[in-house]
Amino acid sequence: MTLLAIEDLSVVIHGRGRQVAALSGVTLSVGSGEVVGLVGESGGGKSMVARSIVGLLPGGSQASGHVFFDGSDVLAMGRAELESFRGRGAAICFQNPRGALSPTRTVGRQLVDRLLTHQKLSPDQAREVAAELFESVGIRSPKRRLAAYPHELSGGMAQRVMISLATGCAPGLLIADEPTTGLDVTLTREILARFRQAADAEGRGVLLISHDLASIAEVCDRVVVLYAGTVVETGPVARVLTEPAHPYTRALLRSVPDLDGRPVAVTPGSMPLLREAPGSCPFAQRCTDSSERCTAERPMARLITGEWSTACFHPKTGSLAERVHGLDDIAHARHLEQAEYPLRIGEAPSGEPSGEIEAPGKAATTGGAPYRTEVVDAREVLRVEDAHVVYGSRFGGGGHHALRGVGLSVAAGETLGVVGESGCGKSTLARLMLGLQAPTRGRVEVAGRDLAKVRGAELRRLRTRVQLVFQDPIGSLSPRRTVADAIGEPLRAAGVPAAEREARVRAALERMELDASILERRPHELSGGQAQRVGIARALVGEPDLIVFDEPTSALDVTVQAQILKVIAEVTSDPSRGAVFISHDLATVRGFCDRVVVLYLGRIVEEGPVESVFGDPRHPYTRALLSSAPSLGRGFAGAGVTLTRDLEETDAARGCALAPRCPFSVPACAEREQELRDHGGSRVACHRAADIPGLIELIER
Amino acid sequence: MRVLRFVLRRLLQLVPVLLGVVILTFLLVRVLPGDPIKTILGPNASEADAAAARARFGLDQPLWQQFLDYLGGLVTGDFGTSIQSGGAVASEMAVRLGPTLELVVIALIIALVIATVLGIWSARRAGGAGDHTVRVGALVGNSVPEFWLGLVLILVVYSVLGWAPAPSGRVDPDTNLSLITGADLLDAALTANGPAFLSALHHLMLPVATLVIVIVAPLLRSVRASALEVLRSEAYTAAATHGLRDRLLLRGYLLRATLARLPALAALVFGFAIGSTVLIEYVFSWQGFGQWALRGLLFRDYPVVQASVLVIALLYVLVFLIADVVQAILDPRVRI
Repeated sequence: MTLLAIEDLSVVIHGRGRQVAALSGVTLSVGSGEVVGLVGESGGGKSMVARSIVGLLPGGSQASGHVFFDGSDVLAMGRAELESFRGRGAAICFQNPRGALSPTRTVGRQLVDRLLTHQKLSPDQAREVAAELFESVGIRSPKRRLAAYPHELSGGMAQRVMISLATGCAPGLLIADEPTTGLDVTLTREILARFRQAADAEGRGVLLISHDLASIAEVCDRVVVLYAGTVVETGPVARVLTEPAHPYTRALLRSVPDLDGRPVAVTPGSMPLLREAPGSCPFAQRCTDSSERCTAERPMARLITGEWSTACFHPKTGSLAERVHGLDDIAHARHLEQAEYPLRIGEAPSGEPSGEIEAPGKAATTGGAPYRTEVVDAREVLRVEDAHVVYGSRFGGGGHHALRGVGLSVAAGETLGVVGESGCGKSTLARLMLGLQAPTRGRVEVAGRDLAKVRGAELRRLRTRVQLVFQDPIGSLSPRRTVADAIGEPLRAAGVPAAEREARVRAALERMELDASILERRPHELSGGQAQRVGIARALVGEPDLIVFDEPTSALDVTVQAQILKVIAEVTSDPSRGAVFISHDLATVRGFCDRVVVLYLGRIVEEGPVESVFGDPRHPYTRALLSSAPSLGRGFAGAGVTLTRDLEETDAARGCALAPRCPFSVPACAEREQELRDHGGSRVACHRAADIPGLIELIER
Repeated sequence: MRVLRFVLRRLLQLVPVLLGVVILTFLLVRVLPGDPIKTILGPNASEADAAAARARFGLDQPLWQQFLDYLGGLVTGDFGTSIQSGGAVASEMAVRLGPTLELVVIALIIALVIATVLGIWSARRAGGAGDHTVRVGALVGNSVPEFWLGLVLILVVYSVLGWAPAPSGRVDPDTNLSLITGADLLDAALTANGPAFLSALHHLMLPVATLVIVIVAPLLRSVRASALEVLRSEAYTAAATHGLRDRLLLRGYLLRATLARLPALAALVFGFAIGSTVLIEYVFSWQGFGQWALRGLLFRDYPVVQASVLVIALLYVLVFLIADVVQAILDPRVRI
């Protein structure tokens, strides 16, 4: 039965002096007990669809078409009707759960409010039900958590509360707007499974909104792909995922690095911002197969088979795994152009063999070996020895151990990947490397000098040797400074004269494939991708020995991510400097790192060359991370490991930090301190590492 | 328990703050040009008379000796002797402080209630005619000088309409109110003197109205702005799209979040209101603290100036302490 039927929905937002066609003729449906994925990049109109369903369009917007819910049109509802429809009819799980929970009311009362409004319960019953709901979304000690305020919850916990709030309305349709953004792989799985359960066990319709098709694919029945406010493809998830018909769907899928290390295709350009309903195919500009017809008239959705339809004049056939002809060509062409750009800016440090500099455009992909450079110069640019960081609590006593004895080194020309769930100490490690955080114990050496032992001008000079590329590309640029100022800042700090500064800024900009016209702009005038290129240019311009990338692509759209990853791959292929790439996304790290370090609660649990860590993980934690990561390809080939309990509940005071969550733990694990020991190609901090493969077999059997 | 510890800690901090205030006022008031002795003796007094008067008030002592004497007095609760009146400063001040505090506290409470109700009402109709009227009204009230406003109110409400009593005191003397705290309304309530209570209330009407009109505007603006912010917040939108009823939204999701920011501003406004009372007391012949302190300053009455500055500083610190505690109660994210 069709619960929600959106028919030819168009939304135009009139702003000051401009208008935006947010949605143009969107048609989709969700049935009871069905999970439908709504996929696309930001600006595609996903959130607008969600807002239309609950009658929450922004001011100055004009909607046409129909949003039928159980036969009545939401767009035509009056105030009173809308009020009784909201919550009971359709309830949204908001994207940012911390923001969407009222800060001054306990989460328990917020849930009880919903229960009392929508279900016939007495206040006492409602409290009972609230505790049960909390338990059902995996919140431990629910009775106690009911009295918590939102700021006392971790991100994952807040997300679960948000889901319980939405389901507490007992809605016919549950809408989840990017429910897993910023969550760990292990948590993402759990939360998505909860939505599947809402459809299967409770018979609700679920509309799952995400920018990442791979991550939600597993729980969806059907997917709808949005591009620039139009539906470009819709169909059963198995078909759309494996043999997508629309070029955009293909681009979307191939932009995501995959665990199996298959190549990433780069789609140039970005999504257009439409002023009015498109008269042509909105993807035509970026599509390699576009013909005259594509730019002359707008393709309407055409049925392929059954429920599968696409809005394209030249729908593709065949599996995605085959070579995607068009996209590769484009990427390749761009690389050839680019190969003519100067690879290095300024002078290389003298006395250093320049090594074999690989042309950055040798391959269109960041997948396989092409980007990895041979380490010809083993000069160590960074060394961290047994670093501990303790953040003391405000009134002394206790404190939080962010890092517990981390040791690593990075050589010039090498790229080190750092992965782990949120809260494992990745960001602290980055701050440590930059000298922004002094280690409580242990030492940090940059270019052979201990950061703790230098002061004043020398410290400042040493600091310029390490540069950071931030997670939030726009937020990390000063809003009042132009791009030219921002990129030139490290040079100004180093006292480089203005004329030389300008030349070097331009060179860095060129290397980032940005037009010089961008120099006079300010951050708010940049797109996310442009801003991140500026951020990388800023890090690069002073010719540092080490660049630290702190989740540089996690705030970007999927196709833009692929573009930036390509740029980063080029930067890291430079043999004169080292790079550290921090990410919670394993697949990204696999793309172009030489070595990888897996962090868990402030400790390194496994370390080694990418091939051996990813291909033959020894530590149960690494194995669990790999097996729970979403993948469209073959994914992680080995046997999976499922951890129990959450990160936040674990006490890591003694012994192996993973012991309480590890399915293989024995009493000795909790007592014995684990040290990194050689196992095969990598080093592993698990005394049972050698037995794990056997144990897995035992469990599987 | 944590709140209690916080309050104790803050009260301990009070000691150095007040000591600093004591030292500064003691020095500054003596730096001011003018001589308190000349103002009490008149122009025709001889040098000998002046020296005798100086000796009587201890002003012939070296400065450090004067300061130590003053500090010693403070510890035992002795604020010194007024040069102008010859009376004990402590007892003079006790009589003066009550009426002014009563005026300010009542006005502030009324202003806070009005600001909250109107501010939220106005925010929920943002951009509408009602919203604009409220905002313009508050702005006008804030822009007129308080002494002028007091005079206009006297003219209209007393002279023309005859609703208010004459601006000549705080309570009808016929009611035989016995003085306890100096705050007439409170005294009347304590002695269960019904007629005096009504009379005090009646006399409070106009001065309180004047003060309320003057101080309500910044409070109203602040409430309206934070209510708007809450209304536009994701959290409120989420609650609304989950179909919660208006009444619940207002009480559970709007009110507390809106008021969380108000205490700090209210404390500032309290300080401002104490300053404003000088003129209002003058217009309504209130015989309050402000007038007393002003006269002390004009005649360079050292002990009076020192005592009044010290008391105002003490009030400020206490009011901000209360504001911090209230804010921590309203906003669970604030840790104290």
